[in-house]
Amino acid sequence: MILVVLDHDGSKLRKSALEGVTRGRKLAEALGGEVAGLVVGPGAEAVAEEAKNFVNKVYVVSGPDWETYTAEKWAKAAQAAAEAAGAKVVVAPASRTGRSWTARLAVKLDAALLEDTLESWAEEGKVFATKYSFLNRVLEKQAGTLPAVVSVKPNTTPLAEPAGAGAVEPLSVELGELEKKVEVIKKITESGGKVSLTEAEVVVTGGRGMGSAEAFGMVEEFADLLGGAVGATRAVIDAGWRPYSEQIGQTGKTVQPTIYFALAVSGAVQHQAGMNKSKVVVAVNKDPDAPIFKETDYGIVGDVHQVLPAMIEEVKKVKNS
Amino acid sequence: MKYIAIIRQVPDGESKIRVEDGKVSLEGTTMILDQMDEYAVEEIIRLKEEHDGEAVVVAFGPERTEEAMRTALAMGADRGVLVTAEGYVDPVTQAVALAKVIAEEAPDVVFTGGQQADWDSQALGPAVAEALGWPSITWTTAFELEDGKAKATHDLDEGAEVVRVELPAVFTTQQGLNEPRYPTLPGIMKAKKKEIKKLAAAELGASGSKVEIIEQQIMELERKQKIIDGSKEPAAAAAELIKLLHEEAKVL
Repeated sequence: MILVVLDHDGSKLRKSALEGVTRGRKLAEALGGEVAGLVVGPGAEAVAEEAKNFVNKVYVVSGPDWETYTAEKWAKAAQAAAEAAGAKVVVAPASRTGRSWTARLAVKLDAALLEDTLESWAEEGKVFATKYSFLNRVLEKQAGTLPAVVSVKPNTTPLAEPAGAGAVEPLSVELGELEKKVEVIKKITESGGKVSLTEAEVVVTGGRGMGSAEAFGMVEEFADLLGGAVGATRAVIDAGWRPYSEQIGQTGKTVQPTIYFALAVSGAVQHQAGMNKSKVVVAVNKDPDAPIFKETDYGIVGDVHQVLPAMIEEVKKVKNS
Repeated sequence: MKYIAIIRQVPDGESKIRVEDGKVSLEGTTMILDQMDEYAVEEIIRLKEEHDGEAVVVAFGPERTEEAMRTALAMGADRGVLVTAEGYVDPVTQAVALAKVIAEEAPDVVFTGGQQADWDSQALGPAVAEALGWPSITWTTAFELEDGKAKATHDLDEGAEVVRVELPAVFTTQQGLNEPRYPTLPGIMKAKKKEIKKLAAAELGASGSKVEIIEQQIMELERKQKIIDGSKEPAAAAAELIKLLHEEAKVL
């Protein structure tokens, strides 16, 4: 049996849940058994009605104790469902929260943890996976013993199609002392842009060389023109010019757009870790030796304050032609 | 109070990495204290400065990890405990071994890096916490002690939240948590005399790894590197660039 922990927004399954189901089905084919799902938290009952079209059985953990997320609670719920299902492998999304509670789950189940995987499969009683490492610069193949916990990197896997109708089974999970030690006091909502950064086809990132918060007006104008999202480097966030939610890199978001503009971005390897899988990279920097140019398809050595306004005009011309 | 930072030694992100016989070779690569762990070391030194107590660094890794540990001691940590093991040991197995060392130390607060710069793993902090039966908070951007508990702000998938956590607990770092200090020359001199206790992983019952790395390859995409000089005529360079994106790359 394979257990897939299904992420949802309180009313419907997220894309990552359907990626997880695809992974789960493939593992079940090789290892035998069925695919079970788990939905946890507010709205879980409603989501289970959708989820049962994708898996053979849906475990539901909900109620007053499960209104807010903590890693301890989610790991506990997943452990209960994995034991109920007799799961050899637990599949979960490799979101920030997913990667936090799956690490706890791996300890609980004495399982191998395969993190942030691009692909996963099973053979000869082991689970194999590929993932990036060394700040996204290396592709590696790993093998883990069973039982295993596999987290799925977002946007790596085809979405599962509905197949049949599974049963819904409420699962009662009691909180222990450990699960009561974290109290959520306040939620801080992300002030996201008009276009979701991680899903945008075009990302326009400004670096320290933009010089000021005001100069980002130009970056926004360019991004708007292309229907893209604005990104920023760590130096820009540290300077307080842009919100954390726009940070791209090792400690921020990872993007993989069709076209990535790096404007006045020097291109530290920690930044590259967040963008080096972009299809086409365009850079503007006045320093010809800036590391970003090694990661660039098309670039201009020049002052962004002169080049960017001209780029805006040229794009307008292309759009109007 | 006692504060622990779990650290690791990783390749400097700026230095080139090579693959030999299908595995990353770190020979000749500059190795450093993981920058995400620097935040952890800084935080426990600050806690010690503000509230008194002891700041201890612990690590699991090969012998060479001692260099990174000396850096942490030079920043101001009091002493270190190094669990030695050569070769790849997965973060969860490491965590279970480290938990034994940490349980014996009985700290109030543990910090470690939010993501490792070599394995790109985020598991060590929460796995250590689970092995200890303690809560964990990942991607911490603000931390303070308040009435015997910790109040922390940390990043979620979207946005952030403020939590109150019963101690002992494990926290992983996010940039913005603090500004790590540089080791001073007197700090470096003092660090040479500070205690590093070493014990072999096998003594803690940690043998083998549940995960094995089978093959590694450098995954840098080939870039065209068509660079236009726009230092004299920025407008002409911009026109050429947009033309290339429109007609050659066909992405605009």
